[in-house]
Amino acid sequence: MSSASSNGELIEHFFRHETGRLHGVLLRLLGIENMALVEDLAQEAMLRAFRSWSMGGIPANPSAWITQVAKNLARDALRHRTMSSGKEASLQVHWEMTTGANGPPANDGVGVNDDTLRLLFVCCHPSVSSDAQVVLALKVICGFSTSEIARAFLSTEAAIEKQLTRTRQRIQTERLPFEIPEGDNLEARVDGVLAALYLLFNEGYKASAGERLLREDLCREAIRLTSLVIQHPAGNRPSARALLALMLLTMARFPSRTDEQGALLRLDDQDRAKWDQSLIDQGLLQMAQAAQGDRITEYHLQAGIAALHCLAPNYASTDWAGIVRFYNGLSRLHASPIVELNRAVAIAQVDGPQAALECIANAPQQDKLERYYLTHATIGELHWRLGEHRQAAESFRRALQQAQLEPEQLYLQRMLDRAVAAV
Amino acid sequence: MSTDSTPFLLLFRNSGPETHRHLSADERQRLMVAWNGWYDRLAAQGKAVEGQPLELETRVVSGPEGKRVVDGPFAEAKEAIGGFVKLLARDLDEATEIAQQHPGLQYGLVIEIRELTVNCHLGVTARPSASVVR
Repeated sequence: MSSASSNGELIEHFFRHETGRLHGVLLRLLGIENMALVEDLAQEAMLRAFRSWSMGGIPANPSAWITQVAKNLARDALRHRTMSSGKEASLQVHWEMTTGANGPPANDGVGVNDDTLRLLFVCCHPSVSSDAQVVLALKVICGFSTSEIARAFLSTEAAIEKQLTRTRQRIQTERLPFEIPEGDNLEARVDGVLAALYLLFNEGYKASAGERLLREDLCREAIRLTSLVIQHPAGNRPSARALLALMLLTMARFPSRTDEQGALLRLDDQDRAKWDQSLIDQGLLQMAQAAQGDRITEYHLQAGIAALHCLAPNYASTDWAGIVRFYNGLSRLHASPIVELNRAVAIAQVDGPQAALECIANAPQQDKLERYYLTHATIGELHWRLGEHRQAAESFRRALQQAQLEPEQLYLQRMLDRAVAAV
Repeated sequence: MSTDSTPFLLLFRNSGPETHRHLSADERQRLMVAWNGWYDRLAAQGKAVEGQPLELETRVVSGPEGKRVVDGPFAEAKEAIGGFVKLLARDLDEATEIAQQHPGLQYGLVIEIRELTVNCHLGVTARPSASVVR
């Protein structure tokens, strides 16, 4: 008879990550076309774990405990379905193939990571739209609830649920393979996964007042999954390491991004002592390992920029010329209005505000820039530095009209007030 | 441990899957850690003796010779007992106070508190589990 003492301790987000791991294990056993069933079974197993461990204490090997419960539930569901409909013969066959003597080994650590990686390749399949990729990955790999995803994306639960349902249907009808791609296909598919993880990280990195912790969790998940990709021979490539470096070096600066009121701080106002040195070290290590092969990706260039910021003891001594060079590279590789806007900020440090204003004026897709609050915020700042206070105020006003998040609005209001007072 | 400790049984109801389905994984984990913390503190004080969850599957036997056998809890699912904790407390009031500190209450947990009668109705003294009777 057990006593209800907690024998084991659970690592942070254990339930969340176990949910994702279970999805991988169960999908291999039941087939990708049964994703909805798999999610139900995993949910049920997690609820049983919660109930049992609350009242009976945490077992010595919680992962094995949950896996066994989930497999038992799957077997029961299978038996029930086969009996009631007779239509689930394929499910039965799949089960026997995957659990039989010839099936892949079920419980070794490498196999489990492989299942998660397979699931990641499903989520990031090119026939799933990029927004849907990130939402699905958060749900089925990271174990987020629909409500958490909705909060992180400033959306509603109903909208997220609807999108998830559509994505699951697409996966089912297109019979997306639950496998790690091979051969010629691999590089493009890894690129697709990295693009989705980059998007996930950026979703988390966007400023937000109320849900800061949740958003930081998105960034941590992006880092966790990118690490997972790198651990597998199929994903261990310079581009993936460059992306991981970029994430780590960006994440390192998280603690200094906002002040006590939650307002955004500009780079030159941030307290660099708050930067996470251990993340910076890890990021630089990944960057060193990314410097291989003959392909420079935008992750390499962006990581390079992040590294130069992290390495500068203060704003003034930042290697701005080096940063401009990286932005020039980005501009050649993948010209976009956003890259030009960022390049302009670096150019301002090297060649002055007037050169930066010209860079923005010459950027492609002006209409896109026009609708982006940061364009006007940046132009406002450049006019301010030139002493053109009236134009600065005008730009900050336009930026404020377009900014959606509270910390951004707080910051812009402050800038606007300063400019108006100076006119 | 005080010598006048009286054994109580705390019966947990409304602790089934339906009660906690709407919680996110992180919320569940936090609740579970708090739940175990509540027990561990009591165990360290010598007040909690044992505790265990009960399987959900229920069978109810009644009628002459037990001929009437029903699956499942006879009332609503949330009425079913999901687990118990055996507690040593001074009196019913202290046992109540202890139950009131349970972190699961805010999510719907219902705790019934019953004193264990040491001498059973057949006149046989209940087998003493060492920590209960001194």
